[in-house]
Amino acid sequence: MKLIYSELKKILPTLSVKPEQLRDDITMIGHFTNYFEEIDSEIVFDLDIKVNRGDCLGYYGLARDLSVFYNLPLVLPEELKISSNSFQLPIKVTTDKVKRIMALKISELKNSPSPDWLQKFVKLHSINSVNTLVDLTNYIMLLYGIPVHAFDTALSQDKLIWEINSKFTEFTSLDKTKLSLTKDILMVNSPDKALSLSFWGGEACAISPQTSNAIIEIAVYDRTTVRQNSRQLKSVTEAGTRLEKDLDPDLIPQALNHLTSLILKNCGGEINSSIFDYYPNKSDIPSIEFNPQNVSLLVGIDIPADFSIDILNRLGCSVVKKPESGFLITPPSLRPDITLEADLIEEVIRFWGYQKIPTTQVLKYKKLPDITPKIIYLIEELKDKLVALGYDEVLTWPLVNQALNPKTIITTQNSINSECIYLRQSLVQSLKQQLDQYRRFKLPQAQFFEIGKIFSQQNGQYIEKNSLGIYNHDSSQLTSDLEKLNLKADIIESNFTEIILDDLPKPELYIPVPLSSKAIELTSQIITLDANLTLEEKIESSKLIEKYSHLIDPKILWSIQITDIYHDTKLNKYRYTFRVSYYNCNDKIAKKIHLTAFNLDKILSC
Amino acid sequence: MDLNTLKTQFEQDKQNHPEKIQLDWLGRNGKLNTFFSNLNIEDKKILGQKFNQFKIEIENYIDLQLSKILDNAIKHPTKKFSQNIISLPKVGHLHPITQTERQLNEVFRKLGFSIYSSPEIVTDEFNFTRLNVPQNHPARDMQDTIYIKEPEYLLRTQTSTIESYLLQAESKNLPIRTAFPGSVYRNEKVNRSNHFVFHQYQAVVVDKGITMKDLIGTMDLMFKTLYGSKVVVRYRCKYYPEVEPGVGPDMQCFSCHGRGCPLCKYAGWIEMGGSGMIHPKVLEAAGIDPKIWTGFAFGMGLDRWTMAQNDIKDIRTLRGGNLAYKPNL
Repeated sequence: MKLIYSELKKILPTLSVKPEQLRDDITMIGHFTNYFEEIDSEIVFDLDIKVNRGDCLGYYGLARDLSVFYNLPLVLPEELKISSNSFQLPIKVTTDKVKRIMALKISELKNSPSPDWLQKFVKLHSINSVNTLVDLTNYIMLLYGIPVHAFDTALSQDKLIWEINSKFTEFTSLDKTKLSLTKDILMVNSPDKALSLSFWGGEACAISPQTSNAIIEIAVYDRTTVRQNSRQLKSVTEAGTRLEKDLDPDLIPQALNHLTSLILKNCGGEINSSIFDYYPNKSDIPSIEFNPQNVSLLVGIDIPADFSIDILNRLGCSVVKKPESGFLITPPSLRPDITLEADLIEEVIRFWGYQKIPTTQVLKYKKLPDITPKIIYLIEELKDKLVALGYDEVLTWPLVNQALNPKTIITTQNSINSECIYLRQSLVQSLKQQLDQYRRFKLPQAQFFEIGKIFSQQNGQYIEKNSLGIYNHDSSQLTSDLEKLNLKADIIESNFTEIILDDLPKPELYIPVPLSSKAIELTSQIITLDANLTLEEKIESSKLIEKYSHLIDPKILWSIQITDIYHDTKLNKYRYTFRVSYYNCNDKIAKKIHLTAFNLDKILSC
Repeated sequence: MDLNTLKTQFEQDKQNHPEKIQLDWLGRNGKLNTFFSNLNIEDKKILGQKFNQFKIEIENYIDLQLSKILDNAIKHPTKKFSQNIISLPKVGHLHPITQTERQLNEVFRKLGFSIYSSPEIVTDEFNFTRLNVPQNHPARDMQDTIYIKEPEYLLRTQTSTIESYLLQAESKNLPIRTAFPGSVYRNEKVNRSNHFVFHQYQAVVVDKGITMKDLIGTMDLMFKTLYGSKVVVRYRCKYYPEVEPGVGPDMQCFSCHGRGCPLCKYAGWIEMGGSGMIHPKVLEAAGIDPKIWTGFAFGMGLDRWTMAQNDIKDIRTLRGGNLAYKPNL
C-alpha cells in the first residue's frame, strides 16, 4: 500500500512529524514500512499492511490509527447533501454473497482527462490514469479501502443484476484480458451481457471519455467468495486484494457521498436516481468483556487502566463499564479483526509502545519433565561420533527425480519443478548427487554423512523414517568405521551405506557440545599439485608439513600431505613428495604459488 | 564386438594398475574411443546412453582404486606418525545449520527446555487450521504450500506446525518448555536467494502467568547468544494468525548500524522472525484453557544468519551444493 505524506496530512492536518519519524512510528504500531522515497516532489511510503487489517488498505484506516497514536484530530471531508430524485434503479440482487451495495446514477456527465492532481495521485499509486471518472473511483478506493465501480449505462443499461454466474462463458476485463467463466463466479451483469466480476470491471460497460450517464456503485461481498473467484480465475487486482479482506459495509455511505461530490465537482452532471442501498443483514457487532488488569498481567508491566480505556475510546470502541467490574467493549465496524480480549490487549499495547517492555527479563530455569524424543539424542550422538571419525555433515535435497520403488513412492502434486517430484526413499539417492557435485569441484578424498528423513507410503499411510546415510571414498574404511560405531548397514552400495535409525537402541540422554567450524562455499575447482623436495637429512614429516603450510596463504590452501618419502642410499638424500590442494584460485595462480612455495621456480629456471 | 564383450574385457583388465587401466581404456586411442568410433550412426544412437554409463563406471572405478592406493600410503599421525607418508588427521565437521541449532539448543536447555520434533508430512489441520488459519483465509497467501494430496496432506510450511503437534500431545502435561529446529518447505523457485526447503527454529512455552516481558527477554537472550551482547533489537507489533499480540523482532542492520544501506533497504533494521503470545484459539484447539494457561512462541529462520556467519552468498550451497570443509581444520 502506497501512502503519500501530503494526502495523509489532508486527513490529519496537524500531523507534523518528519518522514523518518513517521516511518518508524507507523512500523512500530504494526504497518511495516522499509523506506520512503521522494517521487514527483511527494514523499511516498510503501507499507506492508497486515492481512487482518483490510481497513488499512485505505488512507482512512491508516489515518485512524495514526490519529490515536499521535492523539491528533481526524478531519474528514464535509458530507454533501445529496438531492437525489425519485427514480429507483432497477437493480436486482439474486445471491447471498453480497453484504452491502450502494449505487447511484449520475447523468449529463462531461468526462475528460483527469486534472493534474488526480493524475499524479493515481500514478504515485502505480495505477494508470484513464479519465476523470475512472480515476475518481480509484481515488475513493485508495482513500477508503473499498473498491468502487462505474458502469456506462449507454452500454450496460440501468438494470444491473448481482448474481452467481449461470449463463456466461466468457468475460473481457477492462484491460481486455479474456477469461473463461465457470458457473460459480460472483458477477454484475445486465440481462444479456456479462458486465463485471466482483473484483474486476469489464470492457462491456467501460467508462470512456464519451460517457455521459453512469451508475456508480460501492459494494462489500463475502470475502471468501471473492478470494475463491480470484484464485480460480488466476487474477489479482487492487479491488480483489481489498474485497477478499473483511471490509466495513458501514463505511460505504461516507465513501459514496465523497465520490459523488467529487464527480459533480470535476465532471459536472446531475444525480438522476435515488440512492440504491441493499443491506440485507446488518449484523450487530458482539461486545467483548474486557478487564484492564489483564493487559498488565499479559504484558508483565503495569499499564494503567485509564490508558487502556482512553485508547479504546479513541479507536472508536464503545466502552461500557459493567456494574460489578470490568468493561464491555464494542469495537467499531471498521475493525472486524477485533473479536477477543486478546485483540483489545494488542490494541492497547501497540499504542503504549512495545519498546517500553523491558528486554532484560529472561525466563528463569524451571525443572520440567524432559519430553525430548529419544531419537533426537541418538541423532546427536551419531553426529558427534561421525565427526570424530572425520566425516563431514551434509544436507541434501529431500525431493528427487527417481522413484526407487514406484509402489511406495510419495509424489508431490505441485513440486518446484517437473523433474524433482518425488520424496526420497533413500538417503543414498541424495548423497550420490552430493558426490557428483563434489566431483565437479574435484574435492579430494570426500567422506560425508547425512541424517535426515526418508519417505514412503503403505496402505494409504505416509511413513517417515529417520535415516543415516554415509559415503566414504574408501569402502574398507567405511566398513571399519561402521564397526567402530557398532552399526549394521541396511543398504551397502559400493562406497555408500544407509542405516534406518528408528529401530536402533536410543540413549536416555545425550547432550552434545556445540562445535564451531567454518564451512566454505566452493566457487571453483580444487587444484591438486605434487612437488618433490630433496633434502640432505631426514626431517620429521610433521615439521615439514607445518613449515610448508605456513608458506602458503591459508585463504587458498585446502590441504597438504606428504605422499612419499624416498631414501637414495647412494647419495644419502631424502626425497619428499608433497601433494598440495588449492582452492579459491585458478590453475595459473595455484601453479605459481606452488612453484614459489617449494622453490621450484628457481630450480626450473636453473 | 558388442558392448557386453567390451565389459567382459574390462572385468579382466581390472587386475591391472589403475593408471594402466586409465591409459588403456580412457586414453585418446584407448579401447572405449576405438570401440565407439567404429560404430555406425544408428548403433551410436542406440548404444550412446549405455556407452556413457559404462564410461562413468570405468572412471569411478579408476578414481576409487587410485584413492585406495593413495590412502594405503598415507598414515595418520596418530597411528604411525614416524612412517614415511604423512598427512594431518582428517577432521570431520558438523553442517553450519546444525552448529547454529546446537548453539540455540544449548541456550534453551539451560532454561529447562526440551527439544522436540514432529513429522514433515502433515495435515492441513495441523499446518493451518489449528494455527488459526482457516480455509480461504488470506493469511494462507503468506506461504506457498507443496501438497502431497491437496487439500489434506502437505509438507509443513513452518515450524509452528510442530507447535500444533506439541500442544496436542502435551495438553494434559502442562507446563511445557520446548524448542525445535526443523526443515520447512515452500513452493519457491530455487535460486541464489530462495530455496524450497529451509530451516527454522522455534521455541514454545505454556505455563501459568507467562507474559510478553518473558517472551521479549528470552528472545533477546537468543539474539545476544547468536549475534553478540552489543546487538540492538527492536520489538514491534506484527501480525501472525497463531499469536495475539504478535511481536516482530528487527535487528539493527549490522552493515550500516541503523543509518540505512542497500542490505537493509535503507530502513536501518532487518526483520528477524516472528513471535507473540500464543493465540487463545490455538490453545483452545489443543484443548488447553486460555483462561488458565498462557504461553509464547517465537521462531526465526536460520539460513540467512548461517550464510552470513560462513560468508556464503548462495543459499543453494547449504543443501546438496558446493559446501565443503577444509579437511584438516
